[in-house]
Amino acid sequence: MSWILPEGASLGFEGLAAPLRIVRGLGGGTQGQVYEVDLEGERLALKWYLPACIARDGGLERRLIASIRATAPNEDFLWPIALLRASPASRPLIRIRDESFGYLMPLRPPAYVGACEHAAGRLAIGLRQVLRACFGLADAFHSLHLAGLCYKDVSLGNLFLEPDSGGILICDNDNVAVDGADHGAVLGTPGFMAPEVLLGQARPGADSDLFSLAVLLFRLLTRHDPLKGQMELAIRCLDEPARRRLCGEDPVFIFDPVDDRNRPDPIEHAAALITWPIYPRPLQALFEQTFCRGMKQPSRRALTGQWKQELARTLDRRAFCPACGQENFQASGGPALCWSCGAPLPEPTTLLLPHGSVVAAPDNELHAHHFDALAGEDLRRPLARVVAHPQDPRRLGLRNLSTVAWSAETPDGRVQAVQPGESCSLAALTRIQSPAGPIAVQRPTRPSPAA
Amino acid sequence: MPFPDVKLANRPLHFLYLCDCSGSMAASGKMQALNQAIRQSLPGMAAVARDNPEARVLVRAVRFADHAAWHIETPTPVDQLEWRDLQAGGITAMGEALKLVAAALQTPPMEVRALPPVLVLISDGQPTDDFAAGLEALLRVPWAQKAVRLAIALGHDADLEVLQRFIGTEPATAGRSPRRPLQASNATSLAQYIQWASTAVVGAASMPASRVSETPLEPAVGNIPLPDLPPTVLDPTDDVGPLVW
Repeated sequence: MSWILPEGASLGFEGLAAPLRIVRGLGGGTQGQVYEVDLEGERLALKWYLPACIARDGGLERRLIASIRATAPNEDFLWPIALLRASPASRPLIRIRDESFGYLMPLRPPAYVGACEHAAGRLAIGLRQVLRACFGLADAFHSLHLAGLCYKDVSLGNLFLEPDSGGILICDNDNVAVDGADHGAVLGTPGFMAPEVLLGQARPGADSDLFSLAVLLFRLLTRHDPLKGQMELAIRCLDEPARRRLCGEDPVFIFDPVDDRNRPDPIEHAAALITWPIYPRPLQALFEQTFCRGMKQPSRRALTGQWKQELARTLDRRAFCPACGQENFQASGGPALCWSCGAPLPEPTTLLLPHGSVVAAPDNELHAHHFDALAGEDLRRPLARVVAHPQDPRRLGLRNLSTVAWSAETPDGRVQAVQPGESCSLAALTRIQSPAGPIAVQRPTRPSPAA
Repeated sequence: MPFPDVKLANRPLHFLYLCDCSGSMAASGKMQALNQAIRQSLPGMAAVARDNPEARVLVRAVRFADHAAWHIETPTPVDQLEWRDLQAGGITAMGEALKLVAAALQTPPMEVRALPPVLVLISDGQPTDDFAAGLEALLRVPWAQKAVRLAIALGHDADLEVLQRFIGTEPATAGRSPRRPLQASNATSLAQYIQWASTAVVGAASMPASRVSETPLEPAVGNIPLPDLPPTVLDPTDDVGPLVW
């Protein structure tokens, strides 16, 4: 890579009191180059635009200034911090003739890796973490859309995952604009673009974001593309005109309940066929809503709030198969079979809460939204977590992650305090009173022994 | 528990270098510059291939001098590729090279389903054989018609007209000048063009990049919209005067 900014040099920028040291180049593309920089001991990232990119996108500087003023919708965005232009003294050090500018943003921590690593199957990540990442993505776009903004270029390339936690970071926030107000230059990334944008019938906005978001969620959850089925196999050379047909002119969801022209191929598209049955029906229904009726009617697409609610509920249903140990997320009621080994899944112990219920399985968590109907789904600050007993993993407990003691009630009416950080055995309790609200323990109804 | 062990379905992306190895390439270190440029471009190309799980990038190379022959005959995954140096000597059998590539792009051996192939022709002179017959043979093959064809002219003696016929004529579209052969007048610009072809173009052909409104929304004239050429980065080593061939 030929770096435009000299690595190791300290450059002055207008509006910055201290010089910025260019630590090293991190990467580059057709828009510009990204550097790790040091500002008075703080490590940040600097994106520096190519003049051709600035020339093409007249609104770029205006959008960046507006975004910097608005500040990030939540902490999952690598949001612009400051717009930078080289000081007259530093300009000769920049190895490009035409004037250019860049912006500072937080530096991505090394534990976060590109989401394409997951798509390629090279990332060791669990189902719970993938679902948490999907929730984080829906939550981030929820905050963005509620702020009246739209992202316009949702794709696998703009997302980073932390495989241990399922944390996310969204980069390339320089296309963000007030929904419907700013006709920026970007249209989106083919494969993620809504059909009406791909066909040139609409400009990208919050409605097309909802389509792209659903594509990205589908790709994270299934490692497959929602529009690549039999109709893709019929294409020999997958070039631009072919993509336009497949994703714009005649897009058909591979699991469309009515139109079966584009079903996955059992060999070529095995990923979709293996992973789709993992997810509970209400979550599948949001994909059908977006990719069937919502395909041509942008206003019918599943909203960020719906995704948040259903992804949070899916995580609440997480249970382990007693035969193979794999995670299952099936809705309660009715006989259920493990998606992985086919063994019947026993009815689990469930924690009943004022707003919802959570299966008692290790690492499942209780949050404020389980107690308060007005609290939006938020997975950041759990109030309690199901834990396995350190000596006997079959015995499950509930750990108090709040700052206030609970009182736990046994079937014979005794009451015991559970201090913050302590865990109480779910087998011995019927009910827990927490300041957030009551937690009732519902054990499976065992079939009565034969008379 | 781990996510199920499934992978995204992918398609092969065939990338072919057609390298002029005629005797004139021995002059002024051009042959060494080309070998270096290709070798230096491989890590970046491997990174692009890694970032595009929808594509399986496979590289081949043809050398042409007195005759055309495969330099790398087996389609090789880019992360397994070791570039052996090309040697200069002979005349310029460019037409023969095109025929060799034409045969390789027939189905079979080409897969039934693939991404558009990328063909990069690098030459510093004029063909000495029947170029027209070679081009005609190539363009009869559907995969060659679909291919992204690029040409790099090395130095000032390259036959630009021949290279233009190889890449085809594409009229100017809104905001873009018509496509021309890339003219590398020194080792730095050669390395930049090779890097551009093996990263930005491979990326565009395998997984579509983010689009801006200037990119025609109407069905593209070419089957793959080409990314911007690399910017002219002022190389400090160039300040003493370019190494002109």
